Amino acid sequence: MSAPTSHLREPLVLGNPTLHDITEQVLVPMENKPTKMWYAAFLVSLSVLAIGFSAIGWQIYEGIGTWGLNKTIGWGFDITNFVFWVGIGHAGTLISAILFLFRQKWRTSINRSAEAMTLFAVICAALFPLIHMGRPWFGALWFAPVPNLRGPLWTNFRSPLIWDFFAISTYFTISAVFWFIGLIPDLATVRDRAKHPIRKLIYGALSLGWSGSNKHWVHYETVYMLLAGLSTPLVLSVHTIVSTDFATSVIPGWHTTIFPPYFVAGAIFSGFAMVLTLLIITRKVLNIEHLITMKHLENMALIITTTGMMVGLAYSTEFLMAWYSGSNYEGFTFINRAFGPMAWSYWIMFSCNVISPQVFWFKKMRTSIPVLFFMSLVVNVGMWFERFVIIVTSLHRDYLPSSWAEYHPTWVEATTFLGTFGLFFTLFLLFTRVLPVIAIAEVKAVAKFAQKKAAHGHHAGAPTLAHAPAAPEKGV
Amino acid sequence: MTQPTTQPASKYLVAIFTEDDQILSATKAVRGAGLPIYDCFTPYPVHGLEAAQGLPRSWITFATFGLAWTGFLVSLFLQGYTQAAVTPFLSGWPLNVGGKPFFPLTAFIPVLFELTVLFAGVGTAITLLFACRLFPGKKVHLTLPGVTDDRFALVLDPAAQGFDETRARGLFASHGAAEVTWVSPNA
Repeated sequence: MSAPTSHLREPLVLGNPTLHDITEQVLVPMENKPTKMWYAAFLVSLSVLAIGFSAIGWQIYEGIGTWGLNKTIGWGFDITNFVFWVGIGHAGTLISAILFLFRQKWRTSINRSAEAMTLFAVICAALFPLIHMGRPWFGALWFAPVPNLRGPLWTNFRSPLIWDFFAISTYFTISAVFWFIGLIPDLATVRDRAKHPIRKLIYGALSLGWSGSNKHWVHYETVYMLLAGLSTPLVLSVHTIVSTDFATSVIPGWHTTIFPPYFVAGAIFSGFAMVLTLLIITRKVLNIEHLITMKHLENMALIITTTGMMVGLAYSTEFLMAWYSGSNYEGFTFINRAFGPMAWSYWIMFSCNVISPQVFWFKKMRTSIPVLFFMSLVVNVGMWFERFVIIVTSLHRDYLPSSWAEYHPTWVEATTFLGTFGLFFTLFLLFTRVLPVIAIAEVKAVAKFAQKKAAHGHHAGAPTLAHAPAAPEKGV
Repeated sequence: MTQPTTQPASKYLVAIFTEDDQILSATKAVRGAGLPIYDCFTPYPVHGLEAAQGLPRSWITFATFGLAWTGFLVSLFLQGYTQAAVTPFLSGWPLNVGGKPFFPLTAFIPVLFELTVLFAGVGTAITLLFACRLFPGKKVHLTLPGVTDDRFALVLDPAAQGFDETRARGLFASHGAAEVTWVSPNA
């Protein structure tokens, strides 16, 4: 029996797998022993993580004087890395919430791993403000009232830094909840296939006794939509609030009203690039290229180009406003950014983020795996430099020329940043071993729907489908 | 909530289907014939099955609405109290930041929004677990092989009014059931 296919639209799941095939294809790699490649990757990530954590240990022991910061440049690698990782953490919830509300069915194959990536990226991001405290154990006291004789002395809720604390922790919590709710039916699938008693026990506990009851599905679907609806403004709020860390200050180059949308576009841009990097590897290693298809990669490339141009527009608007405002300080800061001593970082940023994504105008480029992979790395380099440029170049030329300074990051800062990549990939590799990397239930629904739709189109006798293979008759 | 109002059945009549179309049409037919449906079990939410089965809309939306307002009010209280309040029982320490107002509502908006979403989101998820009685260690009530993989099960409750095995079996067969069996619930 030849399976029905549409000739109008590329299918989201290739090869018309049966429902059981989808279960097998997602879960068998997870149930088998890890491959040699996985072990190698895990070992490398773990070593990098160990290096990073040694660096963190050293700077907590010795103090953050081990960093290259000085009186003029009080924010350097730490906040750059924080914003970089938070930005990367934006794609997951964008894919799972916004694309869900817009009924973008292509999200189903990639949402699970993108959400996992979001959580891991936010963990990496949260490390930096914590380390920056110097004595991170006081972090616990930061939100509690400081005990003293007069009364409870609380933190200042008018400060964007505390808004940021609330935004990041809410974002992490809601993303984790959304991710777990999405996992429940799939965990039940894993539980029902489990043979080893310990495996049965663990996945039995995690799946919370999910039975696939339709009475539960009715609630489940409502909750999924509610969470998507709540996460959509949330994901936009997070980087908006991160941008107010800068925008509410009076530093030229930071004091800009376009920062919120500019940061959100940049976050989506870098987040999708990271999803692309990870999925190109994952689909190859786990052999799920027919579930995460070229169409998924192509769609992500298109989002990268769109958001890249938005970011480019923001770069130009900043320049225009610096000139149009007539402020000498603003004008100087931007000229200095593009042509001053740190111009190299500005032009790395500009060419990586604005010029290079233009290659995706060509279908040949956005359907070529090597190009996509290379571009995903380029975009992430560019986006790291964007934060570096905004933070360091705005600070290094102070109001008083006598305070002008240079910033030279030390090995401690560099290895800490490297270490977060170790953390990120270690967590992601563990994720591919213990949880289904693809939302099985959702992909099944999409695959079934597409197959039926194609069959239906043929029945209706649409002339454009005249060459579609015969659809099997359903016993209805 | 999965228990019927009448005596719980000692065994359930289960029809297994391999296509979602089949269970959809079978459920419509069975309900149309007035046979008592216990529940359907499917690997993914089948579009239209809740209507065919006669299930009401989920009430969780109302819970979410209430939870969102709870979060909003908690946040308003938290910020108002910690930044401005001096009350007999809860005396805060109003922070003077550059002479700015103690109760600047606009500056409270970000945290108001975040806590509204936090309460609504986490609360909604917990409500789901309560509504479906899902918790770690819960046993699946009916063991139906394959319903988390590629099978669709329509389960009838023989203890309820209007049950007729012969008619049910006839309807199942005409809608393409792959298998019809009696299943005992797990203790």
